[in-house]
Amino acid sequence: MPRWIPDDPETELALLTEIGLANAEELFSDVPRRIRLGRMGVGPGREEIDVVRTVDKILSRNRPYTGFANFLGGRISPRFVPAAVDSILLRSEFYTSYTPYQPEASQGMLQALFEFQSLWVELTGLDAANASLYDGATAAGEAMLLSRRIHEGDRFLIPASLPWEEKSVLANYAVGTGARIEELPFDDRTGRIDLEQTKTAVAKGGVFGILVDVPNGFGHVDETLLDLKSAIGTVPLTVVADPLALSVLSAPGDWGADIVVGEGQGFGASPSFGGPLLGLFACRREHLRFSPGRIVGATRDAEGRRAFTLTLQTREQHIRRSRATSNICTNQSLLALAFVVYATTVGPKGLAALERSLSEKARTLASALGTIDGLRAPRFDAPYLHEFAVGVTRGTAKGFLDRLRRKKILGGHPLADPRPGRGDGGPELFLTAATEFVGEKEIAKFAKTARTALAHVPGAA
Amino acid sequence: MTFRQARYDEPLVWELARRGGAANDAAATIPGIPERFRRAKAPDWPELSELEVVRHYTRLSQMNFGIDTSAYPLGSCTMKYNPKVSELLARRDGAAALHPYQPEETVQGALEILWRLETALAKITGLPEVSLQPAAGAHGEYAALLMIRAHIQERGELAKRTEVLLPDTAHGTNPASAAMAGFTTREIASVDGCVDVAALKAAVSDRTAAFMLTNPNTAGLFESQIGEIAETVHGAGGMLYYDGANLNAILGVTNPGRMGFDVAHLNLHKTFATPHGGGGPGAGVLAASDVLGPYLPVPRVRKTGRSFHLDYDRPKSIGKIKTGYGNFGLDLRAYAFLLTHGEEGLRHISRRAVLNANYLGQKLGKFLPRPFRTLVKHEFLLSGTPLKANGVRTLDLAKRLLDEGYHAPTIYFPSLVDEALMIEFPETESRRELDGFAAAFERAVTDTPEHLHAAPTATSVRRVDEVLAARQLHLSRKDLDLPQPS
Repeated sequence: MPRWIPDDPETELALLTEIGLANAEELFSDVPRRIRLGRMGVGPGREEIDVVRTVDKILSRNRPYTGFANFLGGRISPRFVPAAVDSILLRSEFYTSYTPYQPEASQGMLQALFEFQSLWVELTGLDAANASLYDGATAAGEAMLLSRRIHEGDRFLIPASLPWEEKSVLANYAVGTGARIEELPFDDRTGRIDLEQTKTAVAKGGVFGILVDVPNGFGHVDETLLDLKSAIGTVPLTVVADPLALSVLSAPGDWGADIVVGEGQGFGASPSFGGPLLGLFACRREHLRFSPGRIVGATRDAEGRRAFTLTLQTREQHIRRSRATSNICTNQSLLALAFVVYATTVGPKGLAALERSLSEKARTLASALGTIDGLRAPRFDAPYLHEFAVGVTRGTAKGFLDRLRRKKILGGHPLADPRPGRGDGGPELFLTAATEFVGEKEIAKFAKTARTALAHVPGAA
Repeated sequence: MTFRQARYDEPLVWELARRGGAANDAAATIPGIPERFRRAKAPDWPELSELEVVRHYTRLSQMNFGIDTSAYPLGSCTMKYNPKVSELLARRDGAAALHPYQPEETVQGALEILWRLETALAKITGLPEVSLQPAAGAHGEYAALLMIRAHIQERGELAKRTEVLLPDTAHGTNPASAAMAGFTTREIASVDGCVDVAALKAAVSDRTAAFMLTNPNTAGLFESQIGEIAETVHGAGGMLYYDGANLNAILGVTNPGRMGFDVAHLNLHKTFATPHGGGGPGAGVLAASDVLGPYLPVPRVRKTGRSFHLDYDRPKSIGKIKTGYGNFGLDLRAYAFLLTHGEEGLRHISRRAVLNANYLGQKLGKFLPRPFRTLVKHEFLLSGTPLKANGVRTLDLAKRLLDEGYHAPTIYFPSLVDEALMIEFPETESRRELDGFAAAFERAVTDTPEHLHAAPTATSVRRVDEVLAARQLHLSRKDLDLPQPS
């Protein structure tokens, strides 16, 4: 086995002897006999070369998206990461460090996190960001809990088009507060929420917060949102925003958002089968003391030099315990570092150019799929950026995507809740996204294969 | 060893280039986006060359402690060596280039890794049902409490069982998670660093939802009366919750299942050596008894014949607690760690971690009092109270240790010990390092009050004014101009 535990048996024995013990067993004399274990049954250890071969053999049963024409998207983005980004993440002073509770020894990570916070503040137009949460969905959950602290009521409104995973996470974050989550219906033609219906829902009273997303769960940019804040008054508005989209869209803080959260994995981290991800969180200054998670602030050291430290810690669990604003301790610092290094490597113009390039591909894709009998692409008539929902009018979305997969195309993912009895039962939708890994050739292949695949499916009854 | 940390006075990244504000040409040319939804100017962020970016962040990295540069005796954090082979494997295309929404047929290897790790963790914890969905330990705590709550609801007792009990040595996340899950919390006082079983017996009732316990606890002590504790909690109809932060001490010795716990969370970023990443990501584990297993988050990973699939047909499940199935990249690292160590390696880990704590505890006990019994598990406590006579606080000692090239221990926790220092040297630290730290500790603790107050001097910056940071909030570029020292 690799030498991950130092010293030879003689040295260990010498350590035992020095503390007056005859053998290692005596170290555990305080563990009662009746709860002691025999073997665990996890098998023998291995040499590093065997570990690499074993893991590689298992991983060879995966078929990474790089081997497909890949149109998968949603909150998690398969995106090209410049090599420079990972070279920074591999600096082991960063990745083997702990939470910077000793600021003097941790200025590097603290400054990087301060830069990360500044970048999310710039993109969102809000006053302050924290140093990360687990992922976009839990960040939405925390935004709901913050809303509950700053506004009366027990009703929280979300769009019915929100991805099912986020709805489920929100439901779980609501459990302890007794809050009720209500869904705002979407217009069948545009996929948008309706301003008047939203106003009516708020006017019934007891709404402590509203959450919307941009792009929304169908990939669309809903212009209605720009007028939402004036319609809901003092009710806190949470916006779930895609960071790349914010390089070309106006900052939600400028159109009334009180809290902006999002999924940041697409900036510098691989999808890694869904984790680790990066929860982004920003809010208004007056709500900071009710907000979750670690926050880095600038200050000075004893010699007047600029320095950084964790601050506002009295909100946090290690100090406030049951009255903390959140239970979060471990966050996603290394991915926050990835986020700021990626954005800086690509640069602000590069980010906007990337979004434009993906949007152009998405438009080409929509044109190619739009003429196919059995699909409605895009399903909704509204502006979009790099992704959009497609309706499958013949057969199921899953069946259709399976047939594409056999031709080495990952066409997207079904939007329905996969739990039995939870699907909406309506026409089947999937989300398809333009990625950097597809071009005109892959788009043409997608369309051609889709046409063939659907030609063999009987029409809707 | 003489320690001098890099001191670059490195500018903030936007100070390296002229400020932005350029017209957002790209945004202007995306069709269909309403004019008033467009960002008129490109994000105000610097345009830098790749070398400028790499040099900036490399310099910052050199102003940061990591396990690879210095021993990190943080109690309860288990700062052990993060194996390089795990970093290599997690970056394979077959692990990194997988989208969680890919069809099951294309991610059989990933599901197999999850399944194998869950199976092994069930054996290690003695709890049969395992989910890797939590992003971190506290996230697992929260999910477990939601599971307990769902179970109580199913028994029709939700109106009554609203109280979570925990010892005063509990990690702060425990009461915070319980409160978030809608429970009230009540602390049970400790006697000699362990749960006062008489007080627990007096506290349990038909209102008790759960008792949350870390064993060994944060004083580094094994709660030897765990059998009686379990009987007491179960006798009142409550659930026993295991905070697995300190599992590193008991691998192969005992486990939560054998001790009578109903549900547990583990931190793969502690016991299973996945890197802490400057505060995260971690990876949490939920392990549950047969009774609580049905409430675990969806989906569960199942094996049918030789293939693996995701099971969403779990009617009692609490649903999702995050996007995806967990921090797979970290799960993979932990699996490589587990494969390497195997049965004997895991046992050796705990033997050595406990040996390190007892050896170092005895050495450092010469300089500062140890508040409780001296047979400890993976960590031990010291009290800095005697230093106060010279006007020195535990904080000063911690800062002085930085100058010796060691990270400071955990300080001021648990709160039942005055001026606490909590010290943990995991199994990957050698005798040479233990002796080196003991010598450094002696130099620090016997240093003059003036030096202790002035510390640290060898770090990138001197003592940081945390009070000023909280009083004048400067949380992003927007807020700079910097605060002035008062």
